[in-house]
Amino acid sequence: MSNTSGSKQSAFDRRAFMAGAAGSALVPLTARAAAAEARAAAPQDPALPVDVTLHVNGKEKRLSIDARTTVLDALRDHLKLTGSKKGCDHGQCGACTVLIGDRRVVSCLTLALAAEGQEITTIEGLATDDHLHPMQQAFIDNDAFQCGYCTPGQIMSAIACVKEGHAGSEADIREYMSGNICRCAAYPNIVAAVKQAAPEIMKG
Amino acid sequence: MTAAAPEPKENMGQPVSRYDAVVKVTGRATYASDMPLDNPAYAFLVTSAIAKGRIDRFGLDDARGVRGVIEIVTYENAPKLKDSKLFSDGGYAGTTIQPLKSAEISHDGEIIAVVVAESYEAAREAANRVKVSYTATAPSATFDSPGTTAAAAKGQNAQFKEDAKVGDFAKAFDAAEVKLTAAYDTPTQHHNPMELFTTSCAWMGDNLVIYEGSQYVYGLKNGVAEQLGIDADKVRVVNPYVGGGFGSRGSMTPRTAIIAAIARRLNRPIKLVPTRDQGFTITTYRAETRHEIKLGASRDGKLVALRHEGAEISSRADAYCVGGTKTTTRLYACANVDSLVSIVRADRNTPGFMRSPPEVPYLFALESAMDELAVKLNIDPVELRRINDTTNEPIGGKPYTSRALMACFDEAAKAFGWAQRSPQPRSMSDGDWLIGHGCAATCYPTQMAPSAARVRLQRDGRTRVEIAGHEIGTGAYTVIAQTAAERLGVPLEKVAVFMGDSDLPPAPVAGGSNSTASTCSAVMMVCDQIRQRLFKAVMPGQSLTDRAKETVGLGQTPATQAAKSDRPLDLEKAFDALGVGVVEEYGEWKPEGAPLDSFRAMHSGHPRLVGGHQMKDQIAYAFGAEFVEVRVNRFTHEIRCPRLVGAFAAGRIVNPRTARSQLMGGLIWGMSSALLEATEIDERNARYVNDNLADYLLPVNADVSGVEVIMLSEQDDRINPAGVKGLGELANVGTNAAICNAIHHATGQRIRKLPVRLENIEV
Repeated sequence: MSNTSGSKQSAFDRRAFMAGAAGSALVPLTARAAAAEARAAAPQDPALPVDVTLHVNGKEKRLSIDARTTVLDALRDHLKLTGSKKGCDHGQCGACTVLIGDRRVVSCLTLALAAEGQEITTIEGLATDDHLHPMQQAFIDNDAFQCGYCTPGQIMSAIACVKEGHAGSEADIREYMSGNICRCAAYPNIVAAVKQAAPEIMKG
Repeated sequence: MTAAAPEPKENMGQPVSRYDAVVKVTGRATYASDMPLDNPAYAFLVTSAIAKGRIDRFGLDDARGVRGVIEIVTYENAPKLKDSKLFSDGGYAGTTIQPLKSAEISHDGEIIAVVVAESYEAAREAANRVKVSYTATAPSATFDSPGTTAAAAKGQNAQFKEDAKVGDFAKAFDAAEVKLTAAYDTPTQHHNPMELFTTSCAWMGDNLVIYEGSQYVYGLKNGVAEQLGIDADKVRVVNPYVGGGFGSRGSMTPRTAIIAAIARRLNRPIKLVPTRDQGFTITTYRAETRHEIKLGASRDGKLVALRHEGAEISSRADAYCVGGTKTTTRLYACANVDSLVSIVRADRNTPGFMRSPPEVPYLFALESAMDELAVKLNIDPVELRRINDTTNEPIGGKPYTSRALMACFDEAAKAFGWAQRSPQPRSMSDGDWLIGHGCAATCYPTQMAPSAARVRLQRDGRTRVEIAGHEIGTGAYTVIAQTAAERLGVPLEKVAVFMGDSDLPPAPVAGGSNSTASTCSAVMMVCDQIRQRLFKAVMPGQSLTDRAKETVGLGQTPATQAAKSDRPLDLEKAFDALGVGVVEEYGEWKPEGAPLDSFRAMHSGHPRLVGGHQMKDQIAYAFGAEFVEVRVNRFTHEIRCPRLVGAFAAGRIVNPRTARSQLMGGLIWGMSSALLEATEIDERNARYVNDNLADYLLPVNADVSGVEVIMLSEQDDRINPAGVKGLGELANVGTNAAICNAIHHATGQRIRKLPVRLENIEV
């Protein structure tokens, strides 16, 4: 879309924004800077669409979206990947958790533009050829959900929890899974699921 | 068997994994806001910043200037909607406060404008740019606020029919050897299901499709049709999965008809995703309550007098109340009982049902008082319950259909190690931690409502069950599939269940723990209709009714008996004899004692729930007992709850896996209702302050350890054909009292006001 506006006076100058957002450091600054360099400055009016390329579940997705679009809304409203859920839009509940690289990230607090060039993995990207990911199977085996709304976020978080080395004990799992609220309160079953899946995930 | 899938006991089904397990772990379960729409516009709500007064004017220029804004709807240009009555007055609505109707403001956070734009981002920005000038008057926020009005519930709430009483309370209390008078408070709480209160509306010609998480698709369909003034058959509500309900989605909220009407005006699908904080005021909540309990007893622990007075907050517009005295006056044997429920009106949004609406606050009071009485009498609290256990409720003298209260106490006490407890307060500790053990009873009425179902059986055994039930996390798909498989004798894998769609045969509201009892009873009946047709074809010479009875059980026979006497039916042979490819049956089931208009009401979105204490010659409740350990740090006063043990008896358990999960979640809810959850109110502005998931304290994983659920085997043939009592709201009742009783045991301090936070401990 329109890449013509390069006003220095822009309240929402793309380069300035990128530099400013670097403090939140979800991704290496170099990758982010490279993405920014690849495109001319964004339009002045944030409602005018900007082009962004996201890498989601191993596929490249080109989008033309409002610059304020979060990764969560980009996935849900623009890529029809509705597995990631909106529970608060404030980073308080964890229902929107995705992996960016190996990190678990609340996608509601991450702008799509800031995730450009990074590999995003969502709940839809876990199962392959009818084979569930070990964490998905463990959630089923241990009945680690009821309404299921927080489940995609719980599972993404649980995979990262294991890979971070935070699944060594039940106490650790409880602590490091506390960023994901389950209102149905399936917590003991979630702990059991993480325990079950951990060895297989660590084995790779 | 894993912990999650307990070995079934007598009268329990198999702990199969959830019917919807794979779609839920792969992200393919489609909740309302996941439904694809063709070129939707996005709506964002503007809500009032004052609780009482009127809007003088809107400043919309700035908002209209936002690129992508399509329309801003206020009371000045809103589509006209018809009013809907409160559900308890025969309507559909959870509130009669209808926003966008006038300049008047009835509560903080009331919807005052809807901004529609090409994108979510533009709608949100424009909504933030809407300027509103108000004339505000001082609101009355809650109890003790100036300007509230109080009156007895009886006479103003159609569903609250009587203040239960029997004998002569005043005289008996006066003469009692031991007396206790105590007051208890419970806080405002919000359901906060994980799924936001989203609504998407799309018109196709004159037909409207609504995607909205609902616990009652028939209620919502009929309610929206009424408000729009169109034929209910033109409205379809779809929600195959619901991201938690807990009561918040049981009655119609004002947002739905507004969004539908705007979508019609714009001739475009509209998607509304309200914010978490808006959810605190655009739906209902559990109102704060106050109680006074008076207990009179003999020295040997027999209750001779019981009085429970409760007061509840409601809005100015609506006389909502939960009136839990119907349960607390009937739980224990006592010859002289009195009760009174009153409603205090404030400038608030209308409250509504939240998981175990009457029992959570009212049993907190009674079960705390029972513990206080036990201490006063120097009787073990379990034994005090045993002394006052009863087979008949004291108000009308009706027998309980079954009552395993003391069996639950004994099982849970054993698992908990209650015998090792040293009864003296402050007598147990571990380093810096004071340890307390406490217990309480729980109970919940067994309720049923009319339900229909359609079942289709093919000759290869493939079965399709259609019922407008609701999967709110309870395991509804799973237990319905199990029921059909068992009744038809087909493999579970061959059963497909379709729910969450108001074009399917009506099921009742997924509330009051009635769903499994009602929907499974209906599915059983319709499966029996199919079997009768097949039997008739295979054995035309036989007396059909007798033959069917002998082989599978007909009509009101409980599932277990049917299963025991069941014999596989040769489907191929039966289909050949019938000469058809598919057998399909539709049927409407209603519980005993359901009113005459039940089926008509069922189709028009009015559930006719019966059961509990309202049955004719009996009273039906599920029971349980809960034991907790608390640890209170003697220096920091931090309170932890490392162990929760509950034993429950709830009739037939269709699936021990989904049942255990629900009971476990309930116990954690109960702990949360005691130690964490409270909506804080700014009394100057009648405003909820902590209206987000960081400040409204919910339990997280680190708050929970050591939860044990014990399910007792219980068979009750006097309640419904499925033999099910329902357990969705059983486990989170009484836990709050058990925790306060344990805190008393740990510290010697009696806490009568929830939630208990460390600043409330005065060790």
